[in-house]
Amino acid sequence: MITAGTIKADPIKRELIKNALVTIADNMIALVIRTSRSVVVKNNLDFSASILNADAEMVAQGLSLPGHLGATGPALRGCLDHFGSDIQPGDILCNNDPYSGASHLNDVFMFRPIFVGSELIGFLSIIIHHTDMGGRVPGGNAPDSTEIYQEGLRIPPVKIMEAGKRNETLIRIIRTNVRVSDMVVGDMLSQMSSLVAAETEFRRVIEDYGVAAVRFYMSELIDYAERLTRQGIAALPDGTGEFTDWIDEDGAGGPPVRIQVRLTVKGDEAEIDFTGTSPQTSGAINPNRYFAVGLSLAVMRTVLDPTIPANAGFNRVVKVITPEGCFVNPRFPAPVGARGLAGFRVRHAVSGALAMLLPDRVGACVGGSEFALVLAGYPKGKAPFLTLEFHNVTGIGGGPDRDGQDGGPYGLANIANVPVEVIEAEGPVRVECYAFLPDTGGAGRYRGALGLVREYRLLEDEALIQLRSDRQINPPYGLFGGHPGAPGRIIMNPGTSEERVAPAKFIGKMKRGELLRAEMPGAGGYGSPLERDPAAVAADTRQGKISVANARSIYGVVTDDAGEADLAGTEALRAARA
Amino acid sequence: MSIVENKTFRLGVDIGGTFTDIVLLSESGQIHTKKLLSSPPDYSEAIEVGVRELLQDVGIAPGQITEFIHGTTIVTNTIIERKGEPIALVTTRGFRDVLELGRFRAPSLYDSSFRKLEPLAERRLRFEVTERVAADGTVLQPLNEDELEPIAQSLEEAGISSLAICFINAYSNGENEVLAARWLQQRLPHLSISTSSQLLPKIQEYERTSTTALNAYVRPVAERYIQSLQRRLTALGITCDLMIMQSAGGIVPGKVAAQNPVYIVESGPAAGVVGAQRLSGSLGVGNIMVVDVGGTTAKASLIEDGAFTIATESEVGGAAAMGHRLIQGAGYPVQAPTIDIAEVGAGGGSIAAVDQANGLKVGPRSAGAVPGPACYDRGGTAATVTDANLILGYISPSALVGGELSLNRGRAEAAINSIAEHLEMEQVTAAYGIHLIANSNMMRALNGVSSERGRDPSQYALFAIGGNGSVHGTKLADDLRMNTVIVPPASGVFSALGLLFADVEHQVIRTFYRHLHEVDPAVMTATLTAMVDEARRMLADGGFAEDRMDIRIVAEARYFGQMTTLPMTLASAEVTSDTVERCSTEFAESHLANYGYSSPHEKVQFVALKVLGRGLSDQPRVPKQLTIQRNYQAAEGRRPVYFGPDHGWLDTPVISRGNLTIEPRSGPVIVEEYESTSVVRPGWSVEVDPFSNIVMRRLAA
Repeated sequence: MITAGTIKADPIKRELIKNALVTIADNMIALVIRTSRSVVVKNNLDFSASILNADAEMVAQGLSLPGHLGATGPALRGCLDHFGSDIQPGDILCNNDPYSGASHLNDVFMFRPIFVGSELIGFLSIIIHHTDMGGRVPGGNAPDSTEIYQEGLRIPPVKIMEAGKRNETLIRIIRTNVRVSDMVVGDMLSQMSSLVAAETEFRRVIEDYGVAAVRFYMSELIDYAERLTRQGIAALPDGTGEFTDWIDEDGAGGPPVRIQVRLTVKGDEAEIDFTGTSPQTSGAINPNRYFAVGLSLAVMRTVLDPTIPANAGFNRVVKVITPEGCFVNPRFPAPVGARGLAGFRVRHAVSGALAMLLPDRVGACVGGSEFALVLAGYPKGKAPFLTLEFHNVTGIGGGPDRDGQDGGPYGLANIANVPVEVIEAEGPVRVECYAFLPDTGGAGRYRGALGLVREYRLLEDEALIQLRSDRQINPPYGLFGGHPGAPGRIIMNPGTSEERVAPAKFIGKMKRGELLRAEMPGAGGYGSPLERDPAAVAADTRQGKISVANARSIYGVVTDDAGEADLAGTEALRAARA
Repeated sequence: MSIVENKTFRLGVDIGGTFTDIVLLSESGQIHTKKLLSSPPDYSEAIEVGVRELLQDVGIAPGQITEFIHGTTIVTNTIIERKGEPIALVTTRGFRDVLELGRFRAPSLYDSSFRKLEPLAERRLRFEVTERVAADGTVLQPLNEDELEPIAQSLEEAGISSLAICFINAYSNGENEVLAARWLQQRLPHLSISTSSQLLPKIQEYERTSTTALNAYVRPVAERYIQSLQRRLTALGITCDLMIMQSAGGIVPGKVAAQNPVYIVESGPAAGVVGAQRLSGSLGVGNIMVVDVGGTTAKASLIEDGAFTIATESEVGGAAAMGHRLIQGAGYPVQAPTIDIAEVGAGGGSIAAVDQANGLKVGPRSAGAVPGPACYDRGGTAATVTDANLILGYISPSALVGGELSLNRGRAEAAINSIAEHLEMEQVTAAYGIHLIANSNMMRALNGVSSERGRDPSQYALFAIGGNGSVHGTKLADDLRMNTVIVPPASGVFSALGLLFADVEHQVIRTFYRHLHEVDPAVMTATLTAMVDEARRMLADGGFAEDRMDIRIVAEARYFGQMTTLPMTLASAEVTSDTVERCSTEFAESHLANYGYSSPHEKVQFVALKVLGRGLSDQPRVPKQLTIQRNYQAAEGRRPVYFGPDHGWLDTPVISRGNLTIEPRSGPVIVEEYESTSVVRPGWSVEVDPFSNIVMRRLAA
């Protein structure tokens, strides 16, 4: 199908090349999982892999996190701006600088350029959330930093491998600056070796289809995704949805942060406008623009055909406005280390605006307090320890036609929890409870998922504890008459004379035998609880998920512990409320 | 050749999604096959019918059957159809909801309609008891037996007959679990109890609880099924032991399998891989990739130096997923060792469709057996891969299942034309495109087991099985730069044949979480010795003498913190400091070979110990030669076959498998047989070998 100087797109060849590229990205992911060291990579699966064209536009991705995808192109752009044409076969470019296109310091972006002769064809990319990048607090998630300089080692665009040779100087600098250096450097080796292995496969694809065709279809795949996205958006009703969600406080004692979203669909394009959002804060929860854009686009995708290839074509159709100096587009040298939390609120606010526009398609807020915990210490005569885990989400919100499933995964933050037994086998921590909290799911015609509790007891003399969470004042919202989920709480040493309520975000010390109890919020409900099917309420009381008292007071349903609904009594009770 | 002279026969029966496949093998290597529709809900019925018919057809007496080996989908079916027993779970205080919380992973990022499977034990039937074991096995809190009485009462009231027990850290010390099981068993003698530390003591509480719950859920069904099958066999006059294939590739007595059904989830697919491994071993080919293409899925596995890889965990009950072996969360995790098989939703029934931006997609949606591809003429109108293959001339309108199912070419053309018109291309271009895209999906599975681990497929032979494996085989091999394709006899029912090549094998697995430099050789020796004794006891129970026992010891090791392990083989259960030192060196070498680097100053850690006890049979499992005793004769002649734009339509000879010889014949050729068709592309030759394998080789360019 080659005509004078141009190629006409062939749907068969496009699909074949797309499959081949996605396979390569998948294989990179598999290789990282098999060889990485840290809990945050192998259990949380906090990493992404993709393929970009020579202009730093994403072409294909493997199973990845939406939060990484928005920054992949910009982080490569940052490298290209620095190196210009000084890139050669066998290099691996590396960047973790949020002010050079990356996301936060722990996310280390690496790119392998692919050349045919002297011609640059594209880049393979792997991003890993590394367990520690140095800085004043282990794990790099401190919400109360005030400058990026406090947050750890900032790696501007550099080559971590040059012409096939590892940059041992850089690796030594990293090794010297990070905690748990074996783990971090081990994960970096895994990241590099996966990129090198993937190059071989990418070369086979070039051999099979020819350089010209691969270049052409890498660009055509982006156009193709753009066309599909435009068609999908054109099928949505035109209009505007507005929504506000809040972060309780900025991590440095500041006021609540307002996230304001105005989402407009017009014809085959959409616009997500954050004008009206609070200014940047002094704390470290500011998401940068790349992160906010990536997450906003991810929410948009949930109402479109999920088979649309995930690439730069999508970005061309959905415009995201983030005024400079506002919370979602902070100016240098704002710290961004704990921006993961704000990323959730960005998703929640965009999703809320989308629900205003598409009430019969989008559900209430996902549950959880964006809980993240670091316990670290240097016990005498033993190896230092660092236990890091994220438990951002507790379950999904009630939707237009069904409940939010208890313990249901949230695709837009596809991070696994960490097995209790792995935590206990690898660190001086005992988890004493991990369970649902009854009566915490937002009530509604379709209720939100239950909140949950996790308790940690320290088994070493002393540890530094760094905790990040939220949603104690502004719980996950309900929609259209549905109630919010129960708010979160952090309690130290419950049931003892040392019991005290702790703030949602803090850095402190924990002593041997002390226990931290984290209560994480449930998800929001959808529609009035008085319209909920009494049989569904009774089933929840039977399973101990809703108390008999709440069934009565919130749902207007008369039931008992055995879970039998008294229909006549319910009807009378609900009639009296109406 | 008369069959009367052969005194004894072995029977292999594999139940797949739709069909029950039966293979009868004589001592001298004659193969007789039978394929019939399965008979849900009682799958043993079709087995009885099929076996009776086959024995009658061949003219032998049931008493001549010395082995009956079975591959079964009973576990998957029970899960998918939700036919298991309502179960209860007893767990450590504080962890009632582990089973329902799961791991918070979704198989798709943007599909907000995804819901994970509901837990096998509902919340009101999950009970907590006070007890606690530490990660190192220390009992921190003894079991409070007083709390068991009210639980027993609740179980009675709820009419629960099957119970799972899984305590936190019981992988490290199962004492409290065993005490609870013993107490409850005494109190409720008829209760069936699955205990995690006895079933599969591996780390990760959700996965272990899921495994144990699944076992409890399926066990009563599996036991009834095995009993029913045993009764039918007895009624037929077949008196030999009923053996079942496990997911890891060994066979065990039916009774053992029924008590531990989590070990037989991938029974059928495992048989295909074992068959391929044993048969290629007889050919002296050590490195092969097995591709099994059926109606809905394609499965791939890797055999290297004569050995397949064992995955330590799999999932059951999830929807067929596209190409991702990484997706977690779609089904219930099972920690049982399973032959590492990658699966994608690409098979003969996969549906081709055009999206809104004129993109052509194939699968993972499948037309299934009903209505099936358009050419089946059973009401299906969607274009499928089989319709494309028919138009391309790869399969004959009259060749499916020996002509017992004829295909309607007009229907296939209508279906493909609707795609072609949409894309403004020729019918044949669309058909070939569908074939190629289906191939590229299948390659994701093959890639999943090879390149993902840094293997170069061109160093392997492709072993093509399943009804559609040999249709797609040479093109797959072309694309992967492989030089040899082997299509075994009875390739369309090959799992049933593979069952007969497997050995009796028992696995004893213990978690052994320890840095190499902290290993106390005496402790490790004691642990291994106990495990070896247990494996020997199980083999002795099966009638194997000491000299017929083959014991292998494997330690799974990794760099501290890694997710997956590499197997280190130990020469004996007697461990010294030298043994540990050797493991350390071997691990570094193996990591380098597998992942391209080793990391000398990182700590290496043992994670689990595994003892494989294999019972050696007196006769070789694979006969010295194989012949197919079926007089299927294809309508030989020629037909036009399309081999892509470079070759176009070629007038291609069609021959019966029976008429192939050891003399290589150049492609293009179509080879037809009872259950399948082999497409020999231009640039390839074809011949048969003494095991009746069709061997296709790439000709030197």
